[in-house]
Amino acid sequence: MAPTLKDKYAIVGVGQSPIGEVPDLDSLSLLAVAMKTAIEDAGLTNKEIDGLITRGPDDVYTHHQSMGQILGVNPRFSASLASGGASQCAAVAMAAMAIEAGMCDTVVTGYGRNTWSRTRKRGTRQGSERGLRLPGEPQEFAPEFGLFGAAAMHAFGCRRHMHLYGTTKDQLGAIAVTFRRHATKNPLAQMREPITLDDYHRAKPIVEPYNMLDCSLNTDGAGAVVVTRAERARDLRQTPVSIMGFGQKNNLRGWFHDDNMVTLGGAESAAAAYRMGGIGPEDVDVAQIYDCFTYIVLVTLEDYGFCKKGEGGPFVASGALELDGALPANTSGGQLSEGHIEGMLQIVEAVHQLRRDHPPDRLAKDAEIAIVSGHGGNTVCHSTLILRRG
Amino acid sequence: MPQVEYEKPLPLPSELSAPFWEACRRQELIVQRCQNCHAFRFPPAILCPECLSEATEWRKVSGKGKIFSFVVFHRVYHPGFQADLPYTVALIELEEGPRLVSNIVGCSPAEVTCDLPVEVVFEDVTPEVTLPKFRLRRQGNG
Repeated sequence: MAPTLKDKYAIVGVGQSPIGEVPDLDSLSLLAVAMKTAIEDAGLTNKEIDGLITRGPDDVYTHHQSMGQILGVNPRFSASLASGGASQCAAVAMAAMAIEAGMCDTVVTGYGRNTWSRTRKRGTRQGSERGLRLPGEPQEFAPEFGLFGAAAMHAFGCRRHMHLYGTTKDQLGAIAVTFRRHATKNPLAQMREPITLDDYHRAKPIVEPYNMLDCSLNTDGAGAVVVTRAERARDLRQTPVSIMGFGQKNNLRGWFHDDNMVTLGGAESAAAAYRMGGIGPEDVDVAQIYDCFTYIVLVTLEDYGFCKKGEGGPFVASGALELDGALPANTSGGQLSEGHIEGMLQIVEAVHQLRRDHPPDRLAKDAEIAIVSGHGGNTVCHSTLILRRG
Repeated sequence: MPQVEYEKPLPLPSELSAPFWEACRRQELIVQRCQNCHAFRFPPAILCPECLSEATEWRKVSGKGKIFSFVVFHRVYHPGFQADLPYTVALIELEEGPRLVSNIVGCSPAEVTCDLPVEVVFEDVTPEVTLPKFRLRRQGNG
């Protein structure tokens, strides 16, 4: 049998910056605050960090180099990933692989962005909104037909799923309402006003089938975690959270290819993570599912085996994702209500759930095993993490 | 008659895609086809993603297909589309297999559903640029 990395590495510290509207900090500074907080949470110093993995280069070329400079670290191993919202779970997995390979011993990884501030500054909106075409934006086969933005790309998949399986707006709304309910208990969440299904249906349409409440937030903020060897983790300050399994699948032939918009890379990514962890979906106590848009939650739950393909709608409408439901999910409010840091806060929240850091009314009861999903890039990259208390 | 300026974005063809846009000006829809394994592909690329052969030809296709999926824009992402709201953007699956983004013309967004049969119509948006758009293929019009 092939050697496994199951439980050999652990998350020993987590941190986040202020989130929401933080106009005085740029994305690198936000990430620096989150990484410093994670290192201190672990009871370590920057002198003990010899691995650094970041997500870039959305704003900054040579992203990990800039972070190392700010943190005062000359790592033995450092890299930046470029898989969008799939980068963050993938970075934790890469940390374990890099340590296993002897490249380093203690890795800090995280992601920061200043999307709330950036989208409010003059001249920094998407080029299309100013009638411009900027490098890096599609030059043909999209803008001439009025196709712009991530909401529309995801909405194609949502529409197809509705057509194939009868998925309804009520069911999508159940996701938004449930995650908002979780956020009402999270003092750091960006959106804490409860919403009803009626509120959801009345929200401003953006790109049908999506309205405003199907879409994640524009957020300033950052999150970070520290990964090291499990035996070292036992001597550190916090209850360790073991990395049981991870996986990745990248449907790089495209969102429009095959059935990729109704079966994400998540199916194979989760299968790989379950295999490594020696568990199945029935063993998962709490889930943090990448929720850039409501539909991605629904389809990921199917792909991860929490319900059958096509049954995501009834599953989410059953109350399964509530804190006392069959699968408490996005317990901090997720990216729809807590804040959208491309999945990084969801890794942080999974650790808080397993360490039982929150007051009891925010915890999934007796959670031992958490699953986290990452999704993104050109809607084609997927990554999965399975974490265990202790 | 004074010329009305076209305010929507125009495609900026690459060297790979230039033949596609030239064909649209001739009212022809063409797609790359691998000369080795005969797979159609879109968008244009240097080699066949099935067999990696670089032997490629452009083939005229039927222009018929179906709506694989679609979305309806209610928000302005580009000022040129302000007057069109709400407008439909569809992913068309051609009979030959490839899928491409376009608009559905000649009907309201409420008439559009997935899997409806469509056919290409060519819209000369400027003297230099013709866009391939699609209309519902109803009984009686072909």
